[in-house]
Amino acid sequence: MSVRLTIARFTLFGLLALACATVSPAQQPIPKNDGWVTDLGDFLTPQQESALEALMESYRAGSGHEVALLTVPDLGGRALENYTLEVSRSWGLGQKDSNNGALLFLTRAERKIRIEVGRGLEGNLTDSISGRIIRNVIAPEFKRGRHYEGLRDGIQAIHAAAGGDYAKIPQRRGRRAGGIRLMPIIFMIWLFSSMFRRRGRGRGRGGGLMTGLLLGSMMSRGGRGGLSSGGFGGGGGFSGGGASGGW
Amino acid sequence: MAMNHTIRQRGSAKLGCLMVGGAVLLVALMAVLVFVGRYNSLVARQEKTEAAWSEIDNQYKRRYDLIPQLVATVKGAANFEKSTLEAVTEARASVGRAQLPPGLPSDPAQLQNYVQAQQGLGASLGRLFVVVERYPELKANQNFLSLQDQLEGTENRIAVARRDYIDSVRGFNTYVRSFPANLIAGMYGFEKLPQMQFDEAERELPKVEFDFGKDS
Repeated sequence: MSVRLTIARFTLFGLLALACATVSPAQQPIPKNDGWVTDLGDFLTPQQESALEALMESYRAGSGHEVALLTVPDLGGRALENYTLEVSRSWGLGQKDSNNGALLFLTRAERKIRIEVGRGLEGNLTDSISGRIIRNVIAPEFKRGRHYEGLRDGIQAIHAAAGGDYAKIPQRRGRRAGGIRLMPIIFMIWLFSSMFRRRGRGRGRGGGLMTGLLLGSMMSRGGRGGLSSGGFGGGGGFSGGGASGGW
Repeated sequence: MAMNHTIRQRGSAKLGCLMVGGAVLLVALMAVLVFVGRYNSLVARQEKTEAAWSEIDNQYKRRYDLIPQLVATVKGAANFEKSTLEAVTEARASVGRAQLPPGLPSDPAQLQNYVQAQQGLGASLGRLFVVVERYPELKANQNFLSLQDQLEGTENRIAVARRDYIDSVRGFNTYVRSFPANLIAGMYGFEKLPQMQFDEAERELPKVEFDFGKDS
């Protein structure tokens, strides 16, 4: 029975995976984001992708602005502007109250580029600056087939226009960074437990429980740095600002 | 025994009275809560619609303000087609004449008039950008390109704002007419809003080849 059940489950998973693989992103309503860089159009090697990812994460850490990149193989007959608006709104780019997000979008088949700018960044990353970034920074590199350079320089130009600084990426799986953060918490635990101890012996166990709880919550928190479960700030306040172009 | 019985009866009658009174109170309280909820929801929806409208209004205004710069820049290009420019200037003037009173539009005919003027302006601008393709001098002019970016951005924002406004008017109108809310709406003078109507086709920039017989 259980063997049959497992087999059934596996075939179900297999079918699901197959369905996911065969549905092209153009037919899918909104592609799922995969960190800051979602390269469905296959412009980048894995190393280049992670380099861009680090650049963008460091920018987010320093400025608080959320700039993401999405490439697709084709638009599947949709209008470019509608598509990028839908994606940026449903991804919820930018912080909730300030809507400081932007999306750089490229489609391979139509050779089109768009920068979709959230309401909070429209003042700095204006339409005409976005247009200039596409025309003078990204498109010339793409015409020469230098995709990585074009995307990297374009993203840096977007960062420069939107303002803010780059910063060290906090607690990126490294144990050392975690260790530094642990210090004040350990101190707090010590303080708590000493307080409990002073109040009476009956509470001695409570202190232990408390420590366990605190430690447990820290462990679960420290699992991932940066984007947890692929979500952005949840802003998504986009009103169609930005510019379009091509190469 | 008998006394005990009457006391119990009296007690139960009292209890019944209390229960009925409590139920009436509860129903009244619930009605008040529903009323307050619906009323607040109506206000919130109207506010949202007003915000959507002012977004459209702002974007239309921005486009209106950008056009003189565009006309001046294009005029600078060697013998740019006069008829195209004149059409834009004229369309802008007719938008200026079709201004709406401030606040949410309430008169359908007035709104339709306004929308038509704005669409005329959008179409004439679209034609201008098509004609510009024949002037490489303009296509290399940074000032012109920047204006084009701004106008295209505005055009796109208008489209987005219109969509949002239409959705929010639809939501508001459905709500105003649905059952418990319609009583409250009638009491406080919330009225159905006129829907904005425009042809989807006009949203796309015209891709027609114009044959103006331009002498080269």
